[in-house]
Amino acid sequence: MKGNARAFASALFLIGLGLMLVTLFEALPFGGAPMQVGQAIAGRALEDTGATNIVSAVLLAYRGLDTLGEVAILFVAATAAGLVLGGAGRAEAQGTPAGFILRAAAALLFPFLLVLGAYIVIHGHLTPGGGFQGGAILAAAFFVPLLAHPASPVNHGVATVVEAFAGAVFVVIGLAGLVGGGAFLVPLLGAGTPGDLFSAGSLPLLYLAIGLKVGSELAGLMARIAAAGDPARQGGKA
Amino acid sequence: MTLTAHHVVLPVALPLLVAFLLPLVGRLSDGLARLLAQLTTLAVAVIALLLWPAASDGGALVSAMGGFAAPIGIVFYADKLALMFVVALAVGLLLFRPRREHDSTKVQTLWLLLLAGGSGLVLSGDLFNIFVFYEITAVATYGLGASAHTGAGYGASLRYLLLSALGSAFALLGIALVYAAAGTLNLADLSQLAGERLTGPMGLTAFVLMVLGFGVKAELFPVNTWVPEVYTAAPTRVTAVLAGVVSKLAMVVILRLLVLLFQDPAALGFLLLLGAIGVAAGELAAFRSRDLHRTFAYSSIAQLGLMAVAFSIPGHAGVLAGIAVALHHLVVKPAFFVLADRWRGEIAGLTGAGRTSPLAAGLFVLLSLSIIGIPPLPGFWAKLMLFKAAIDAGGAGNLTAVAIILAATVIEAAYLFRVVGILYGTAPAGRPPLRFTLGELAPGLLLGAVLIAATVSVAPLGDGLTAMAADSADAAAYASRVLPGGN
Amino acid sequence: MTMDAEMLGKALYAGAVCLVLLGLYGMVVPRNLMRIVLGLVLLESGVNLFLVAAGFRADAAAPILTAPFTAQAAGPLVDPVPQALVLTAIVIGVGVLALGLALVVRVKEAYGTLDTHAVANRMARETGADPAVTAAGARTPGALPVAAGRTAEDAP
Repeated sequence: MKGNARAFASALFLIGLGLMLVTLFEALPFGGAPMQVGQAIAGRALEDTGATNIVSAVLLAYRGLDTLGEVAILFVAATAAGLVLGGAGRAEAQGTPAGFILRAAAALLFPFLLVLGAYIVIHGHLTPGGGFQGGAILAAAFFVPLLAHPASPVNHGVATVVEAFAGAVFVVIGLAGLVGGGAFLVPLLGAGTPGDLFSAGSLPLLYLAIGLKVGSELAGLMARIAAAGDPARQGGKA
Repeated sequence: MTLTAHHVVLPVALPLLVAFLLPLVGRLSDGLARLLAQLTTLAVAVIALLLWPAASDGGALVSAMGGFAAPIGIVFYADKLALMFVVALAVGLLLFRPRREHDSTKVQTLWLLLLAGGSGLVLSGDLFNIFVFYEITAVATYGLGASAHTGAGYGASLRYLLLSALGSAFALLGIALVYAAAGTLNLADLSQLAGERLTGPMGLTAFVLMVLGFGVKAELFPVNTWVPEVYTAAPTRVTAVLAGVVSKLAMVVILRLLVLLFQDPAALGFLLLLGAIGVAAGELAAFRSRDLHRTFAYSSIAQLGLMAVAFSIPGHAGVLAGIAVALHHLVVKPAFFVLADRWRGEIAGLTGAGRTSPLAAGLFVLLSLSIIGIPPLPGFWAKLMLFKAAIDAGGAGNLTAVAIILAATVIEAAYLFRVVGILYGTAPAGRPPLRFTLGELAPGLLLGAVLIAATVSVAPLGDGLTAMAADSADAAAYASRVLPGGN
Repeated sequence: MTMDAEMLGKALYAGAVCLVLLGLYGMVVPRNLMRIVLGLVLLESGVNLFLVAAGFRADAAAPILTAPFTAQAAGPLVDPVPQALVLTAIVIGVGVLALGLALVVRVKEAYGTLDTHAVANRMARETGADPAVTAAGARTPGALPVAAGRTAEDAP
């Protein structure tokens, strides 16, 4: 009874909230965004940064601090998850090995995922993509073999090193601006020729750092959760 | 090296840099990682203090990240209020620093990230950037909340995470509404557009959504149900920092939103309502609690409610009262939790504990008197300022709030004196006495000394805070400092 | 604005509202912690959809320049800022989700259940709180059902 009353009250509340949101959204100028800031950025991004992907320019230059924060959040979450899950360096996973298809495909996929991830990371300032998207693919490249061979030990050592240095590189590039007397995260190295792989100054470097950091962090996170959810280890701490 | 305005990013960048590298250092030696983390925290406090003179000369230090002037880029705005809370956060994290323990490096890393996130929260002048730093702070506290490695710790932390993430989604929806309506995220830019584009139901909804989001960490009604659970299940030093400092950082964000974006009477009324309910509900629940951790957790909700009431009073008198309540609570509540750490379990079981450790009991009495508001302790002045601001502002809502706070103070006095009575009772024979080691009690004694020092120097402190509050409540000054060609 | 763009706008906003409501329902009504986590994911997707839709312009192209690489040649572009914001918000969501799942694993290990009532009950017993007080205290300041302590009286 009590559960029904609660569900009913919740449903009423949600309907009310929905009506309110619909009314509010109706009043918004869809398709004619005010673009108070966006207009200015769209006009000057290429000149300022040399990046042809304006979203990347926003992400790394105009709102670079958000992106550093974003990287930091993944890092906090990975650290906290490591703390919660006991942070065992080597999980003693004993799951049954996967079937033939997954095992064969994992070996095949690994190099392709690696190349695709790297491509998306280093072309982030030119075309859709970037450090986060490419990093996620890189993480998948390392996670697919783990799915295929759950019993194989995960070595978090290399990932820790890559993760630490990649994160530090981002902050150091930012601090380099301060050393030159400017602000944090000032774009360095000049804009270059738009459309070239080596253009947009320090932006590709930032994306490379993000790609490596996100890749190693996501892979580590997934490996930790997979190991913790392993039936062989269930109830160990109960 | 002389510090320029651009160095206001250091309280964020420095701890982030060290936190990223800390896992590597921790592989070499846990002790080294601990030392490095503590030195970094100290460095942040020192940097904030070094920036202080420049900030008080020019009103505030403004740095546009990447050299992209507002409103295109993200700005950091370091006025005295923000720097004060950065110092408070760094000192608090240092005072309650993690000891040698299991997974020490991970805890230290989270500690540093809490510092970076909290500093960014008060320094940032960009709505979405504030959201990002709020999330760093939040995620770090989820991890720390579970760091006792007990089932209750995991459960409390998970329920806190779910509530907080729900709030964050609300806050993000509010930010999206603001952006959809105004097309900018810079607080100074928004403050100039607010009168035109953030009024009516749209503005009010955005404000309510953001208050519900940021209010999770600010322990505001109704998104504070995590408080008693987490404060009981987390290690005490985590609780002390969360209740003492981190909650205030979220309140500072709400203050900025109010001053700059939402000077709408309906928005102020909403915050007043939440604050008054928080005060009443918090003190009543504290009265009914049977252990000290819960008592102090609920009392913390009530104190944050006081701040919300103060900030909802328009003009700088309310801001002043809110900052005074915040600073007072910042000193008192962590000290209370230091005492609660040893005096665990049922309050009734503490009979006579005050006789075996007179120093701790004396500290408890001092803190209680101040938080109740007995002159001449600082808590009295804070509450007096709040009453004066509310009565000067007038209006039925404010006067009702004053009545509620007075009634809540009576309840507060009742349960605190009840504990004092138990502490000085006669212990039943045959029970091992609870004693504090000096090391355990030291942070509490230090905070007690700060409280006494504040009592002695209440006049200069009041003048300083008045200037700070007047500046923080001045939206026009904020806009002119941030936007180029303003002035 | 063309008719198509208007339809698209309505569809996007309606989708966002539906996702938000579904997500809220999923966070408020189920008693299984795993389902609540999934509700959170839906809710976040709804908010993200709204945020990215807010930057849409009917007459404009994606904010990525192609040869000859000038802003003038590209013509009007949609607002790039919300796209960057949404990317950030998604990554934040992933981080919170990962930590949430890690905690779910631990709670399951510790208590053998993911039922909110049962977990709250076990927690209250573990922290040594008087269940009556916990329930009363959590009821007083708690209106949001998701975290309200339904402890003592609903014990299975």
